[in-house]
Amino acid sequence: MIYDIRQTTSYSYGSYVPFAAHVLRLMPLPQPGLDVLARDMLIDPSPSEFSATRDFFGNATTHITLKAPHNRLTVESRFTVALTPGPLVVPEETAPWEAVRRAAQATTSFAARSPVHQIFASRHVPLDAAFLDYARAEFPSGRPVLAGAIGLMEMFRRDFRYDPGATDVMTPAREAFSTRRGVCQDFAHIMIGCLRSLGLPAAYVSGYLRTHPLPGMPRLEGADAMHAWVAVWCGEGVGWQELDPTNAMRAGTDHVPLAFGRDYSDVSPIDGVIFDSGRHSVAVAVDVREHQSGA
Amino acid sequence: MASAAATAGLLAGYRPLPGVYDEMVDAAGQVRPHWAPFVGRLSAEAPGALSQRFAAADRYLKESGVFYRVYDDPSASERPWPLSHVPLLISPEDWSVIEAGVVQRARLIEALLADVYSGGGRLESLGVPASLLAGSPDFLRPLVQAGRSQPRHLHLYAVDLGRSPSGAWWVLRDRTQAPSGAGYALENRIALSRGLSDVFRAFDVQRLAPYFDALRAELARYRETDDAGVCLLTPGPLNETYFEHTYLARYLGLRLVEGTDLQVVGGEVYLRTVGGLRKVRVLVRRIDGDFADPLELNARSRLGIAGLARAARRGSVTLANGLGSGIAEARGLLGFLPALAEPLLGERLLLPNIATWWCGQEAGRDAVLGAFDDRVIASAFSRLSSAIPPGGPWVVSEMGGPEREMLTEAILRRGVDFVGQEVVKLSTTPVWSDGRLAPHPFTLRVFVAATADGYTVMPGGFALIGEQQDLRAITMQRGARSADVWVMSQGPVAPTSLIPSETQIVVRRGDGVLPSRAADNLFWLARYVERAEATLRLIRAVATRVSGSRAQGAPDVAGLAEMLMRWGATEVPRGEDDAMHAAESALSHPDLDGSVPALVAAARRAGLGIRDRFPPDAWRALQDLHAYVHAPVEPEGRDVAVLERASRALRTIAAVTGFQLETMNRVAGWRFLKLGFRIERALATCRFARQFARAQGGSREELDLLLELNDCQITYRSRYPFGAAFAPVIDLVLLDESNPRSLAFQLQRLEEHTLALPLLPPSNRPSPALAVADRLHDVVAAFDPAKVRGADILGIENGLMHLSDEISHAYFRVRDPFVTEGGAP
Repeated sequence: MIYDIRQTTSYSYGSYVPFAAHVLRLMPLPQPGLDVLARDMLIDPSPSEFSATRDFFGNATTHITLKAPHNRLTVESRFTVALTPGPLVVPEETAPWEAVRRAAQATTSFAARSPVHQIFASRHVPLDAAFLDYARAEFPSGRPVLAGAIGLMEMFRRDFRYDPGATDVMTPAREAFSTRRGVCQDFAHIMIGCLRSLGLPAAYVSGYLRTHPLPGMPRLEGADAMHAWVAVWCGEGVGWQELDPTNAMRAGTDHVPLAFGRDYSDVSPIDGVIFDSGRHSVAVAVDVREHQSGA
Repeated sequence: MASAAATAGLLAGYRPLPGVYDEMVDAAGQVRPHWAPFVGRLSAEAPGALSQRFAAADRYLKESGVFYRVYDDPSASERPWPLSHVPLLISPEDWSVIEAGVVQRARLIEALLADVYSGGGRLESLGVPASLLAGSPDFLRPLVQAGRSQPRHLHLYAVDLGRSPSGAWWVLRDRTQAPSGAGYALENRIALSRGLSDVFRAFDVQRLAPYFDALRAELARYRETDDAGVCLLTPGPLNETYFEHTYLARYLGLRLVEGTDLQVVGGEVYLRTVGGLRKVRVLVRRIDGDFADPLELNARSRLGIAGLARAARRGSVTLANGLGSGIAEARGLLGFLPALAEPLLGERLLLPNIATWWCGQEAGRDAVLGAFDDRVIASAFSRLSSAIPPGGPWVVSEMGGPEREMLTEAILRRGVDFVGQEVVKLSTTPVWSDGRLAPHPFTLRVFVAATADGYTVMPGGFALIGEQQDLRAITMQRGARSADVWVMSQGPVAPTSLIPSETQIVVRRGDGVLPSRAADNLFWLARYVERAEATLRLIRAVATRVSGSRAQGAPDVAGLAEMLMRWGATEVPRGEDDAMHAAESALSHPDLDGSVPALVAAARRAGLGIRDRFPPDAWRALQDLHAYVHAPVEPEGRDVAVLERASRALRTIAAVTGFQLETMNRVAGWRFLKLGFRIERALATCRFARQFARAQGGSREELDLLLELNDCQITYRSRYPFGAAFAPVIDLVLLDESNPRSLAFQLQRLEEHTLALPLLPPSNRPSPALAVADRLHDVVAAFDPAKVRGADILGIENGLMHLSDEISHAYFRVRDPFVTEGGAP
């Protein structure tokens, strides 16, 4: 499956900003199952400093500085990717969850995709006792890890309501959990918190969903903006498996990953420090369409 | 020399605790050899003399304003520094063990940090569980640079030691983030040498000065010509150890800066000064690494500098310590360091740790749960996290059944978050209380600094002394005391002195590096103090008139009340004739912005941010003023009380301004202080004149009042045989440049000070403030005293406020950064 993806983020500020520094994570990085065929980024106004690098988790990051006074900023990223997801692992054939927990705690690997980075509390994901109580029932002794994680995801479908008005970017996960409402970011954080409180490695994946559903298929929640889902580590051999708690489905050809981290703060598409009164508004537009050859 | 009987008297009742090592006496009750001369000397003192000596030390600490903030709360009081007067004496033999052990440990931790931040390859090959380090909130992933050679991470290191019952020294904790206490150790030494100077000199006690000299030289090594100097990055006045930051900055000649003083441009760090940006090559970091960069690290930080992580990766700034060095404080590591010394250093570990088992591995978990009652359970990492239940560390033997079960379950589920440690029995050292010595447990913090060719150890340290045998209780936050540490020398010690440079403010001669924030604070400090003074003059004038039985409705008295109201010092008086009520509330209501208590509090806040630049006496005067104007007002005899109070506050203000005049050296900082004073005084003079000098229908009493408010009745009377008249009064108060309280005098000085301000980059032009000051001076010089009207004066007031704005715009413009975190749903 080949997709053309475009994201436009526009900030407008209450006054002229004399100086700003930003870190952008808006470019995909080639990885197994994902080839980047073309990519481009337009920044307006043109930054005075620009440098592209990779962060700890391997995400493509762009550091920019704007030194001239400006009262708006637009970042447009466009890229074409070919997505060839591997075959889906059979949940019942994965290792018992206790064995996965043991392996994650014992690993000596510091590598970017090592499970060791994904078993601890992170900025947006505390290890709350409430998460543990909620998740426990799906993890009886010896249950295969992916079967348990999928069971947890099914519980989300039953208990949680997608409600864009209920939370915003800064709402703590435990608050969204107690109201049982939220959006993809909240559901991903809560599910990660549930798994980590058991000692299981769970990571945050940001990316995109196809905007226009195939004929006869429902339009997925979160398709008009950036999306987020969860990667669960299922042991040395199987590695990371991706689950979308918002749509209660396994990530497949409809999910285009962009960045990988411990939670939203690791993959936030645009971080910035501006010297201003702080009044600003932001608009985000996302378009994900199947690539038309020759277009 | 003391008689055996006197020694026995001092030691009478001194009984070491059973099963515990005592520093001063051995198991048989005999004074240890390295303590004997000291104990003998103390015993020779006349009764009461020792208490006097110790009181001298306390007085010194109180007078130099040494404090420790107990809570992270602006309203919480600063606690005076609790000094335990008897020093801890360490024998040369013990010291050589400690010194070698901590230097080796610094090397080991440096090797560990270098490996972690270059990708962890060595540790991985040695089979170290990655979760031992990756779980630390101080593992700062943006600082990992795989395969790159690492700059030094650990410039400043401290170790908390304890002595076991066998007499061996053990490491309790490593301090690798931003170790505090070296400045307090210095203060303890200075304080104690006040009380015991002759005692101190009589023994060969190693001096602390060479350590600080070496540290100063080491930090200076990374500087470059024309940079902003070595800067000490502090979280600011609300931090618990802010006093130490200001103290060390002054002692070592470092520039005390906060995050908002710095800016990263093009991957380089700069200090915003009144003369533009100056490069910063060395930062002594006293904020936690995670808070150092809101862009790449903790976005919630208001203390850091956007882009610092990137500058650190590029190596354009040397951080002492490096970002992420706090990872080595993880308790879990204690169990692994002995095994890592061999492969990482090729040496055996010299100093043992407190026995520690990390519960992330089966063997460790079994060792903890198998002997649960003998364990203390704590977080495996340096800080608390949501992963472990609140309330630790836990002494298991003190816990009830349900609590144990909860903890056991948590350890079995997520053992990576926990360590178990042995229950320590600390050794004891004598404490002077109620005229005798008693044994108290302590921990000893030892400080290590990197140097060009290795490490140097401060020969001394910081002993924290507790009330009871419980390690958890031995923290400053929980009321422990601290003691000086005397390392006895094997040979004679060369006399060096700590004293010269720290009792006065360090003179930074003409390097022109004044951080914009400091200039801003100096300017506003002066404005608030001067405004408080003008307000007090109004209040005093009301009180003298009312107690002199002048009608409250008379135009002069009513005018005073009206001014107090317009200045926001009081609210609308209940009756139009209640000027006394207005004066009283202006003196006592801190919730009104213009009241005296509110103005003094604002002045103090501005002063807090620049305490490193404050002469200690001026600071004390400002503290006294603050305490005085915030004390409750006596209810009875109110006009007399108000008069007395206003007069006394005015005298204290004179002390504050007097100290500033005398002790602030005349560099750029002093100019901003004077600008603030002059602008505020000129404004007040204009406002007084506009209120009380009416060309038509004004009264003689009002003109007299104007002379009084401007302190020039005597001059007037000596000049004019007749009473107050409009034109002569206007001339003296507004136009006479020889009168130091006149408007013209203020304007002439303002012109001088603005002329001396730094030129502005990039083209080295003078600030627009100069033109404003010039014009104001010219306009007033052209005034005809008989023809000056309210509108003319108002024009000058507006010009003064414009001048203030131009100064702020050109030199202070430091805006707080605002952090945005992306825009996903």
